[in-house]
Amino acid sequence: MAVLLATEGKLTPVSSKTHITYQFQLNHECEFLDIDFKYAPKQYQDKAASHALIMEAIEKYAEPEWAEPYKKNWEGFYPLQNLLTLSVDGPEGFRGSAHRHPPEQQHRICLDAGLTSPGFIHGKLAPGVWKITVSVHCVVTPECRYVLEVRGGEIVD
Amino acid sequence: MTEWIPFELHTHTPHSDGRHTLLEMCQTAARLGLQGIALTDHNTVSGLIDAEAVSQETGIAIIPGMEWTTFYGHMLTLGAPYCEWRDLGQGDIAKGIARVHEQGGIVGIAHPYSMGSPICTGCHWEYTIEDWEQVDYMEVWHETMPPIKNHNVPALRQWTDLLNQGYRISATSGRDWHHSGDRDALAAYTYVGLEDTESPASSQAVVKAIRQGRLCLSMGPVLEVSLRVGGKSYRLGDEVPLQEVNSNEPAQLSVNITRSSVPERPWGADEGCMLIITSNLGELSRVSAAGRTQWIEGLSLEGLRWFRVELFGPIHGLLATIAFTNPIYVEI
Repeated sequence: MAVLLATEGKLTPVSSKTHITYQFQLNHECEFLDIDFKYAPKQYQDKAASHALIMEAIEKYAEPEWAEPYKKNWEGFYPLQNLLTLSVDGPEGFRGSAHRHPPEQQHRICLDAGLTSPGFIHGKLAPGVWKITVSVHCVVTPECRYVLEVRGGEIVD
Repeated sequence: MTEWIPFELHTHTPHSDGRHTLLEMCQTAARLGLQGIALTDHNTVSGLIDAEAVSQETGIAIIPGMEWTTFYGHMLTLGAPYCEWRDLGQGDIAKGIARVHEQGGIVGIAHPYSMGSPICTGCHWEYTIEDWEQVDYMEVWHETMPPIKNHNVPALRQWTDLLNQGYRISATSGRDWHHSGDRDALAAYTYVGLEDTESPASSQAVVKAIRQGRLCLSMGPVLEVSLRVGGKSYRLGDEVPLQEVNSNEPAQLSVNITRSSVPERPWGADEGCMLIITSNLGELSRVSAAGRTQWIEGLSLEGLRWFRVELFGPIHGLLATIAFTNPIYVEI
């Protein structure tokens, strides 16, 4: 098992709506790629700051005639959450994504469909350039830290 | 002969953030009276790996799709493989739509008036569409009990405005189905009109019918609409040619209201129900539908660009739109 990528990063609300792509080289065909990904915090617990953000969003997105009732019930939208998702591309194209909410995730991509994690596309792990993308859909907290590690399994002849 | 097949066109599984497997969802779909679904996981198509086996086991047709879950809007695609979205910015949606079309698929704007970020990331449509001809459909009914959901009101209004401007965009319903529960509120069906020679399992046939607008959105009953003029019959999504409009021959509109056989969806041509013809000229007609499962009326085509049929009446004690069709268009 070889660590192919080990990285971490710090995000702020300015990072929202950006993609961060890491690129690594696979020298030999692998049996599997394992990905560990986590980020924190998930929820924004600052109620006063959240109130302001929720009011702003209601103002922007609700039909004007319904804005007031939404504002009265703003706590229905609390707590706001950060959302980061992962996707993977191999030398031969897209290999799937994990668009889901848990902030700690482990994924495997391999030849066996039954052992490949949901969201990802099973098949050969060809040598060449691989990319893994963190899509930063939303960071609401003043700071959000993530850790990402990719490991390659047994090399096949 | 057209068969009206109840579909659910917006669904998720654990391949994205759904909580029911494709098998569990399709088993529930069968119990709900559906005959087909579109699998539209967020930003992946990997869930289709189980489609053939699940379809065989449950009898539910599964149409391949995806929900582009981008930073500036969610866009449903049907009948196309994965198409790249991550390299596109807020000004690039035309390029993205073209990618789906080049792969033989169609695109639909999902829940355009949902709350956006940070309440629901990217859920509100914030792309500027420069050419609405590119958009194949809009999800104007979203979630369960769509006739009474606030955010569907502006979606329906926008769709109607676009029809008035001469665009031919289909309208669909989508539950945005993430999990199956025993006490869930009802979602609407999107009835897809297929030829009796076409299989609901044919992605091409379903995609063609959606693009064409052979669709009726309904909490239960199907509204079969045809317009007879000049010895020919026109169906939902068809265009009546100009020569027929100019011939001054009377057009005859026929509507059949057929109740769903699913007991939880008892609604039909009942007391308190109205049949409404809506068009670019506004409301053309509003009559009681009580006891009239078959309804025939003359219709003047003068000035018409499109019209659709709606059934309005009580659902669970609330007055609401029970069903409405996509339009029949008139050449101008």
